[in-house]
Amino acid sequence: MTTVAHKGLGSLSSPGAQKSLIAVIVLTLCCIIAFSSRLFAVIRFESIIHEFDPWFNYRATHRLSTYGFYDFLNWFDERAWYPLGRIVGGTIYPGLMVTAGLLHWILNSLHITVHIRDVCVFLAPVFSGFTSIATFFLTREIWDSGAALFAACFISIVPGYISRSVAGSYDNEGVAIFALQLTYFFWIRALKKGSIFWSVCTALSYFYMVSAWGGYVFIINLIPLHVFVLLIMQRYSARVYVAYTTFFILGLLLSMQIPFVGFQPIRTSEHMASAGVFGLLQAYCFLDYIRSKTTKQQFRSLFVFLLFLVCFILFVGVVFLTYAGYIAPWSGRFYSLWDTGYAKIHIPIIASVSEHQPTTWSSFFFDLHVLSCAFPAGLWFCVQKINDERVFVILYAVFASYFAGVMVRLMLTLTPIVCVLAGIAFSNTLSKFIKDDANETIKKKKIKKDSNEYTAPGETDSEEESSQEPGKSLYDKAGKSHSKRKSFQSGTPGSSYKKNKQDVGPLGANVKGFVLMAFLLMLLLFVVHCTWVTSNAYSSPSVVLASYNNDGSRVILDDFREAYHWLRQNTHDRARVMSWWDYGYQIAGMANRTTLVDNNTWNNSHIALVGKAMASTEEKSIEIMRMLDVDYVLIIFGGMIGYSGDDINKFLWMVRIAEGEHPQDIKESKYFTPNGEFRVDKDGSPTLLNCLMYKMSYYRFGELQMDFRSPPGFDRTRNVEIGNKNIKFEHLEEAFTSEHWLVRIYKVLKPANRQPLGHALASKRYKAKHISRKTNKRKKGFVKNKLDVKKGRRTRPASNMSTKKSRSKKIK
Amino acid sequence: MNAIKGSLILFIIGLFCHTASPKTKQEVLQEKVHQLMEWSNRRTVIQMGGSKFANYVKSKPRNYSVIVMFTALNPKRGCSVCQEASDEFTILANSYRFSPAYSNSLFFGVVDFDDGQDIFRTLGLNSAPAFIHFPAKGKRKAVDTYDIQRYGFHADNIAKWMAERTEIVVRIFRPPNYMGTVVLVLLFSLAGGLLYVRRNSLDFFYNKTFWGVLSIFIVLGMTSGQMWNHIRGPPYYHRNPQNGAIHYIHGSSQGQLVAETHLVMLINAAIVVGFALLSEVHNPEMEVSKRKVFAIGGLVMVVFFFSLLISVFRRKYQSYPYSLLIR
Repeated sequence: MTTVAHKGLGSLSSPGAQKSLIAVIVLTLCCIIAFSSRLFAVIRFESIIHEFDPWFNYRATHRLSTYGFYDFLNWFDERAWYPLGRIVGGTIYPGLMVTAGLLHWILNSLHITVHIRDVCVFLAPVFSGFTSIATFFLTREIWDSGAALFAACFISIVPGYISRSVAGSYDNEGVAIFALQLTYFFWIRALKKGSIFWSVCTALSYFYMVSAWGGYVFIINLIPLHVFVLLIMQRYSARVYVAYTTFFILGLLLSMQIPFVGFQPIRTSEHMASAGVFGLLQAYCFLDYIRSKTTKQQFRSLFVFLLFLVCFILFVGVVFLTYAGYIAPWSGRFYSLWDTGYAKIHIPIIASVSEHQPTTWSSFFFDLHVLSCAFPAGLWFCVQKINDERVFVILYAVFASYFAGVMVRLMLTLTPIVCVLAGIAFSNTLSKFIKDDANETIKKKKIKKDSNEYTAPGETDSEEESSQEPGKSLYDKAGKSHSKRKSFQSGTPGSSYKKNKQDVGPLGANVKGFVLMAFLLMLLLFVVHCTWVTSNAYSSPSVVLASYNNDGSRVILDDFREAYHWLRQNTHDRARVMSWWDYGYQIAGMANRTTLVDNNTWNNSHIALVGKAMASTEEKSIEIMRMLDVDYVLIIFGGMIGYSGDDINKFLWMVRIAEGEHPQDIKESKYFTPNGEFRVDKDGSPTLLNCLMYKMSYYRFGELQMDFRSPPGFDRTRNVEIGNKNIKFEHLEEAFTSEHWLVRIYKVLKPANRQPLGHALASKRYKAKHISRKTNKRKKGFVKNKLDVKKGRRTRPASNMSTKKSRSKKIK
Repeated sequence: MNAIKGSLILFIIGLFCHTASPKTKQEVLQEKVHQLMEWSNRRTVIQMGGSKFANYVKSKPRNYSVIVMFTALNPKRGCSVCQEASDEFTILANSYRFSPAYSNSLFFGVVDFDDGQDIFRTLGLNSAPAFIHFPAKGKRKAVDTYDIQRYGFHADNIAKWMAERTEIVVRIFRPPNYMGTVVLVLLFSLAGGLLYVRRNSLDFFYNKTFWGVLSIFIVLGMTSGQMWNHIRGPPYYHRNPQNGAIHYIHGSSQGQLVAETHLVMLINAAIVVGFALLSEVHNPEMEVSKRKVFAIGGLVMVVFFFSLLISVFRRKYQSYPYSLLIR
């Protein structure tokens, strides 16, 4: 970027400088667009952290910026997963928080006082600008600068990436995609140059990726695969050797520095491919060397011998290590990538997350639009003009599209390569139709570009790229260094260029004009689509809801923050709040109260316990709640305003997860009607109508009549009149209900002072005592009472403290 | 054998007619269990006609429970599900037979409609297949009839229901399906054979078109949601039961039909071909007239099929505001 800028400002008169100036302008505009198109939520609502996971990230960042880095790494969060707690420092990818913290620190040292929340909110948009620059460089290494500018423009606005990087969605993916693209750029560069410098850059950027996102596994499998395929294609060279070995060793060591990753890279099967390819590369190199020193006959026998030896050692080694437990088996989420039925059967918590579902074609189209049909064409062009780095792109595209097909969430890893390949497809196609009148239009387009940043850049690029081709390869300096690449380059575009000059004429200006117009129209449609999707689908904070009246006026439903604020202000600092895991991070982040379970779903049995408490009757669940020291229960209820994402709609998952752990107590079938329906009205199953979740959701709802057309207690989400209107609580009391009833909080009552004795014998004895010692009655009763109270107060906190201490010691 | 059976039946009938009987209740029970064990050793699912059903399932002295499948396997009855359900039921019965839980307290039986229409009538069964559990003690309850509508007739689900009703837990053991392995071995040997036969000219291995088409095929398959089809198994098309109209496109963006994904795959492929044609235009070896055809053809393909794609998409996203050429 800087070199380009430097050149651009250096000598404006030469055509090369003009081109780089254009590139700089386009890239700057890309960054601005990437940033500003992600601001819908901020403009509509306010600068607020979105959804669920970002709230935890924000809380962690806040801790990092107030207490410092080392405290953050050693952070034991006693406010989550009560009573277990969570070792946060060792169970997260710290890259995101460190990035935001660093940015905050720099800004504050420059006396630009920004709140850490604003840094967090705007981090993802800023990084998406960086991503488009990284994509530019990556594509330029693979194809040319025309395609690169196209790709940069695409990735700055493509919905597949925006979905994870709008302002306020402060999540790992926001910075990780930048790291991903940067790593790939450095890797391609290292491969082309064969230089240690670039592979060290690859390793460093890989380190950043590891620190930021679990998706680094994709890189550490894709790069070895690339090397492996290059070996098979007999494209091995010293460059490959230098690049890969440097990257592998450094990357391995660096990735192990992240506490959460730890020794995984040398133990788990996900990382084994990289080690295997490393070994293979050494062997190949060794054999190559021997071949140069021996005769063919000798070499052949040696080769066969070595092959068998290595296979045998490898096999025995892997069997032994797996048997001894040094190599962990594949983790569940990765199983679900290969064996697509695995998660559904074995891990309901993975299956319950909508991000882990397979992808329909319509969501491919929704997220990629024209790119989803154009990028196979780019793939085709790459295969036709294959070279070392294009092998990488092809592998990336094929594997990423497979993964995206299996899991909606992995659409994110597919999107960058789709942008790169679609850039190639558009650039490669369009450039040939523009060439002829390139010199006249270049000025026109430049003016046009400022008014329409999206499409025009692409246009100018291809022109510029076309006129660049004869000899003066400004961006493709790399081409000079390897003979293979150069021969390829001089083979096709150079020679075709001269002929094009004379042959384009017969095609006619009309045809060319049509083609250009049609493509412009499609790109324009893409831009409009992206804006529409971003605005409508991906810009809702989901913490604040908006609904529209019939006259188009907007109503803001701020119930969540209202309720969390209530918790923060009106409950004891150490109060423990039970809710379904979806809301754990938000309660911790906004209300600053202790939660039992949260979105870091590491302990399935704990979640199942909460699910069981929600799904049982009040009598049974009060035992669980007392056991877990619950003070408040928070639920989300959408029946009043027709909010579909409420706890009753999620309820079956609670039952399912609870059934997985407690099959004798909870049975899913009991929550259905005999016809197999899940309904909350009179015909619903009695188990459902009396379970705690139902009672808490509809407590006093039966008294409420919203309008005259519907009966009292009419649930707007499920469009039925509720079945159980007479709800009474024994151990709970309603503590708070938000304005639109979206959040309801119940207080768990402390046990009554003196519990009625269950059996008759004891009471009789007491009575007898009571009668016989008439004179001492007052005294006895007094003393006994006092003792009871003291015991109750002292023992509980003391025991809690002791267990906590012992646990924290153990952890240390 | 027949004679024994006949005498046995006679004897039991006799017992129920309150005639004088030399054997006590205990002995009768023993006899019955013995007989059932013998049958189930021969075939795990005991075929039952009217009399057998009446004697061994309906009649009282019983210390064993029976799970009976009511079915209509005769092809002229035209019950296509029955065969599948029967297979699953047999798998369950076999798993039970060879499991450690196997004892003489549970038996499996099957009653075919053609053998025992009156049984169907007395039990009030209108549809086949049906699974009913006849408990050893007490009356048959509503839950003793397995709910096929809700759980389907997968053996695992029947086993779950069975565990609930009889407290006998059986792990379903499916006879391994060697079909996949056989196909894989065949494919590999075919590929290996091909490679061996053509070992002198392995050019196709270096053929870019081959690899290009292969990778594009994979990519198109994935982007058109074939993986979704594989996991969710939607129907090929949807027939509206009311008016018989056939829908090839699923009405919501949450789901899709197989036909629709194939259509999308073809459309995407056509767009890619369009792109390829457009890029071929400047191939210097081509005639000028041909180039013009290529350019126009490619353009038309790209634009037309892209518009078609958007219009298909609009069918699923009713509120989607944009379209090109085709509405």
